[in-house]
Amino acid sequence: MSSRLRKWLLTSPPAEWAINQLRELLIGALRQGPVPRHIAFVMDGNRRFARDRRIESIEGHHLGFEALAKILEVCYKAGVTHVTVYAFSIENFKRSKYEVDALMDMAKVKLNQMCQHGDLLDRYGACIRVLGQRELVKPDVLKAVDKAVEMTSRNGNAVLNICFPYTSRDEITTAVRRTVDEWSQPLPERTGASPFKEDRIAQNIRKQNKKGNGNDTEGTYLSPPTSMLSPSSSTTSLSSNGDSLPDSRSSLSSSTTLHQSSSPPLFAADPKDALSIPSPEPTLPPLQQQQQQQQTSPPTYHPSPEAITPSTLTSHMFTADNPPLDLLVRTSSVHRLSDFMLWQCHQNTEIAFLDVLWPEFDLRTFLPVLWEWQWRQKKMRSENEDGKGRVQGRERSDSRIRADRKRTVKRLVGEALD
Amino acid sequence: MVYSRDTELYRRDVKSRGREFTAEERETLLKPYLPPVPELLAPSKGSSRRSGVRKVKKRRQKPIRSFLKSKLHVVLYFAVHLVFGIYLRLRQTYHAVIDRILTLLYYHHRTPELIQKDVKNLSRLPEHLSVVLTLKGEEDGGLESLMEDVAELSAWCASIGIPLLSVYEKSGILKSNMRSLHSLVFQRLSSYFGASQTPSFRLHAPSYPSYPPSATTTPALLPTTSTETTPSATQPQRRRNINVLLLSSTDGRDTLVDLTRTLAEMSQSHKLHPRDITQDLIDAELSATTSISVSPPYQPASPTQMPTMPKNQETITTMSKEPDLLIIFGPYVKLDGYPPWQVRLTEIFCVGESGGGNSGRSGGRVEYQGFLRGLGMFAAAEMRFGR
Repeated sequence: MSSRLRKWLLTSPPAEWAINQLRELLIGALRQGPVPRHIAFVMDGNRRFARDRRIESIEGHHLGFEALAKILEVCYKAGVTHVTVYAFSIENFKRSKYEVDALMDMAKVKLNQMCQHGDLLDRYGACIRVLGQRELVKPDVLKAVDKAVEMTSRNGNAVLNICFPYTSRDEITTAVRRTVDEWSQPLPERTGASPFKEDRIAQNIRKQNKKGNGNDTEGTYLSPPTSMLSPSSSTTSLSSNGDSLPDSRSSLSSSTTLHQSSSPPLFAADPKDALSIPSPEPTLPPLQQQQQQQQTSPPTYHPSPEAITPSTLTSHMFTADNPPLDLLVRTSSVHRLSDFMLWQCHQNTEIAFLDVLWPEFDLRTFLPVLWEWQWRQKKMRSENEDGKGRVQGRERSDSRIRADRKRTVKRLVGEALD
Repeated sequence: MVYSRDTELYRRDVKSRGREFTAEERETLLKPYLPPVPELLAPSKGSSRRSGVRKVKKRRQKPIRSFLKSKLHVVLYFAVHLVFGIYLRLRQTYHAVIDRILTLLYYHHRTPELIQKDVKNLSRLPEHLSVVLTLKGEEDGGLESLMEDVAELSAWCASIGIPLLSVYEKSGILKSNMRSLHSLVFQRLSSYFGASQTPSFRLHAPSYPSYPPSATTTPALLPTTSTETTPSATQPQRRRNINVLLLSSTDGRDTLVDLTRTLAEMSQSHKLHPRDITQDLIDAELSATTSISVSPPYQPASPTQMPTMPKNQETITTMSKEPDLLIIFGPYVKLDGYPPWQVRLTEIFCVGESGGGNSGRSGGRVEYQGFLRGLGMFAAAEMRFGR
C-alpha cells in the first residue's frame, strides 16, 4: 500500500518536475569538473532483471534500451563525447535462437524508427557507428544499420559506438590483419622529381662542416653520401626523388634514404641543416636507424615492419579516432571484461563494476561513479601539478639565466661598439 | 528524464513492435525531450525562422539567469565534492578498520595447514592466479618490499595448491632480479613448509630463460630436492610445485606489436597471406610467449633426472593458459598495461583503497586477507560464456 502511495507521489507532475530540475542541476554541476571524454558500458543484467521480475527476457532487453537512452542523455548533457556500448557479443550467438532473433528484431525496429526522424536526429548531433563483425549480421538488419550509420555520419559533436557482433579479440585480430595487409602493399613508385638534389645537399653539408666543427667530423659526414651514391642505378633513381617526402614509410623504404634520415641527428645543432633536409621518421630512435643502416640489404619497396608501433595498432582498431577510454562501467556485479575493449582499457582506464542490473542503472547509480572518477582525476592532477611545478620552476630559472646571459652579452657588445 | 505518462505510451508502442504510432505521432511524443535547435541549423530552415526570432528575444533576457545558473552549478559542484570527499574518506577508514579486523581474524602464521583451512569451504580455486603489484617508492621499501610480496604470495599459492602464479609489475624490475628473487622465495617457502617439504619452485618470464634453468640442476637446490623426490612421490600427499611467471608492461601491447611486425615481415616476403591471420593463430602465438615449459637445452645435462622430467613437463604445459583470477593490489580497478589479450575472461578483483592507506595512489599493500577475499569472490562468481 505504502509503495503504491509512494509511486503515486513520485509520478505526480509536480514531483516529476522537481526531480527533473534536480537532475538538470546535478548534471550542470558535473560539467564544472573534469568529465571523461570516452565511456564504455557493458549492458549486463537485462535477462536477470526480467527473471527477477517474472517478465519475458525480451521485455528486459526493452527496458535495458530505455536505460541506455537515459544514460546517453546524461552522458551527452554532461559533456561526454564518445560513448561505446556492448550491445551484442559474437559469443551471444550461442544463446537460444528465439532470443537472438528477438534481439535482432529489436535492433532493426529501433534503427528503422531512428531513421524515420532524420531531422530530429540532427539536433542531437550524435553520430552512430557500429563496430564489429558485419558478416555475422543478417542482411535485413545490416540494411537498417547501414542506413542509420549513413544518416548520422554528418553529425560531429558526439559519437555513439554500438558494438554489435563484437569481441575484442576479434577486433585485435582484425587490426593486426589490417596492419599486415597495409604493410605488405608495395609502395607506389612516385613520379615527379623533387626540388632537392642529393648532390647539393651533400655539398651543403660539406660546406657547413668545414665552416663549423672542423675536420674531425668530416669523415663521418662524408661516408653517408658516398654509400648513398654507390648502390645500383635503380635505387639511386628512386632515392633521388624519394627524399623529399615527409611520409615515414618512404623514408624507410629504401636503404639509401635511410642514410639521409639518419644524418640530421648528427648535426641537429644547426637549425638550417635540419630544415634543408626532410624531417626523419620521428618514431624511430636513432639507434634503430643506425642498425638498419648497417644492414645493407637490397632495397625493398615495402615499408619497414619496425615502423609498427602500438599506436599503429591503435589506429587500426575499430575505435581508431576516438579519444582514449576513460571509464568502463559494467553492471550486474560481474567482474570480468568478457572480451570487451581489451586493447583500449588495459592502459589507464578506470573500470567500475556495479552491483545494479542494467535496466535499473540510471543517474542515481551513475553519479557516484562519475564523482569518484572526478575526485581521482582532481587528485591526480594536483599531484601532477606538484611535480610539474617543480620542473617548471627549474625551467624558469634556466630561462632567467639565459636571459641574464643575453643581457650581459648585449651590454658587452654595446660597450664594445661605444 | 521522461514523464511517466509518456513512458507508458512509449512502452505500448514498443510492445506492438512500433506499429501503434506513426512516425509523426512518435515525433510529437519526443518533442518535449529534445534539446534546443542548434544555432547553425535554425536559420537555414524556413519553417523555424519564427522560432529563431523568438529565441533571440529570449536570449536578451537570459544573461542574468544563465549567469546565476552557472554560479549555482559551480557552488553545487564544490559542495558535492566536499561531501563526496568526506564520504570517500569515511569509506576508506571503514574499510581500513574492517581490514585490520580481518587481518587479526585470519592470519596464516606461516603454516600451510592454516591457509588450507581458510580456503577449505571455497567451491573452486583458480588454476592460474595473477596479481598486479606496484613498485612503491624508496621510503616504502621499494624493490625489497616488492620481492617480499612475491615471496609471500607464492608461499600462499603453494599452500593452497595453485600451480601457477603470474605477477604483473609495470616496470619489469623483477625480471632483472630473478636470481635474488628466487633465493628469497625459496627461503620463504622453506620457512612455511620446513626444509624437507619445500615445494619445487621455478621462476619464469617471457623471453627470459627460466630460473633455475632446470628444476633440479641448481647446486643450491640439489641436496634438498633430489633427496625428497622419491619419498614424496610415495607419500599420499603429492609433492607441490609452484611456478611464478613475471610479467611487465612490455608483455602487453609490445608483444602484440612484435607479433604484428613478424607477421608483416613474413607477409612482405610472401610467406604468409594476411588472410591467414586468425584469432586462433594470434592466440597460439601469444600463449607460446607466456607458456611455461621445461627448457629443453638443459634436459640432456641431467640424465639422472629424466624419469621425473616428462611427468613434470606434462603437468606444466597444460597450465599455460589465461589467468582465472586477477587480484589487483591497489586502490581501484586499473589494468595499467596488463597484457590485454589474456584478460578476456579473467575474474578481476580489487582489494580496494584500504590497502594503500590514506596516501591514496602510493599502491596497495599485499595482505593475506585481501588474497582470501579475492579467492572468495572467485569461488562465488558464475561463468556463462556468453550464454
